[in-house]
Amino acid sequence: MIDRIINTFHIASNEGHGSLFVILIIGFFFGAIIMYSRLDKFEKMAGFMIFEDTLVPRMAMVTVALSSIGFYFLVQYDYGTFAIKPLILGGVIAGAIMFGIGLVILGKCPSAFFVSVSEGRVDAFVGVLGGMVGSAVFTFLYPSIQGFMGENLGDLRLVSFFEGNELLVTFVFSGVLLLTAYLLPTIEYRDPADDNKE
Amino acid sequence: MPKQIPWWLGGIAMSLLFYFSFSIYGANRPIGASTGMAYISSILFGMDADNYSYIAEIQKSGAWEAVMLVGVFFGGLFISLFITKSFHISYIPTLWKERKNNSVKSRMIWSFIAGFMLMFGARLAGGCNAGHILSGGSQLAMSGIVFAIFALGTGVITGRFFYKKKVCKND
Repeated sequence: MIDRIINTFHIASNEGHGSLFVILIIGFFFGAIIMYSRLDKFEKMAGFMIFEDTLVPRMAMVTVALSSIGFYFLVQYDYGTFAIKPLILGGVIAGAIMFGIGLVILGKCPSAFFVSVSEGRVDAFVGVLGGMVGSAVFTFLYPSIQGFMGENLGDLRLVSFFEGNELLVTFVFSGVLLLTAYLLPTIEYRDPADDNKE
Repeated sequence: MPKQIPWWLGGIAMSLLFYFSFSIYGANRPIGASTGMAYISSILFGMDADNYSYIAEIQKSGAWEAVMLVGVFFGGLFISLFITKSFHISYIPTLWKERKNNSVKSRMIWSFIAGFMLMFGARLAGGCNAGHILSGGSQLAMSGIVFAIFALGTGVITGRFFYKKKVCKND
């Protein structure tokens, strides 16, 4: 096991996607932003799907709206490359349904797991354990599941349907998200557990 | 220091981080988390690339994300210890108590089941909130958009049946 752990750092640093330091810094800020915006809280993530809080959709929409425009120009001027996940319809839909059920019950996504554990939440840690077992079962079953995941529709993007108007579509997409985020009402679940401590 | 940043500032900060990670000055790849989880799981359960085709497929991306997750843990720990000062051992979220029950056992069992479903689902779909919704959405990837619609739609429907109705507070 120790060998595998050392090897992990070795693979990561030789993959051509930044030095170990850069990867750790990206993770550090990712975790810090999640925690500082309280995106990791059950009350925010599960709360948004039972209409108790609107922080998660608003923050996610701003992130995607700004990033989509930034990414467009980064790629346009060769400062970045798109890495599009293929649309394997059966796998994506079946996976999304399972994911959605898990998400509203646990109230954390796979990165917020770790953030919540770092805040001392035991239920999040149990969720991580469940996730570890879930991944292992998937890895074990993968050869037999592969056939059922459906046709690979390729690396489709929304702009693929509007050839020649990529920039316009990106701006409209971004604008709609920003406007929706702005218009969504401010609903905030006030957690008394946050008030009691100093 | 404020204990929480507002949604718009969180969104701006997150997209700046995304620019950095995506650009050649950072990692030249978008952020993702669940492949890293699967990779860590393979270490814990001793599943290696020689015997499991899935691990061979995800090894490179998984190792990158696993290292990133180490950073995520410390980023969260840093903020919870020094800025939000919210670090403390807890078992049940407040909203769960309000809308579900007060049983630690129930919360733990459901957490395990939900964690299992989350990760199994994320692997089946090829990504999670980070990889599909945030990074996928930012690249206008159809896989990300389809994932977002089905995951959030299912979440809302499940939430309606799983939790008790909202109690009106008369105060």
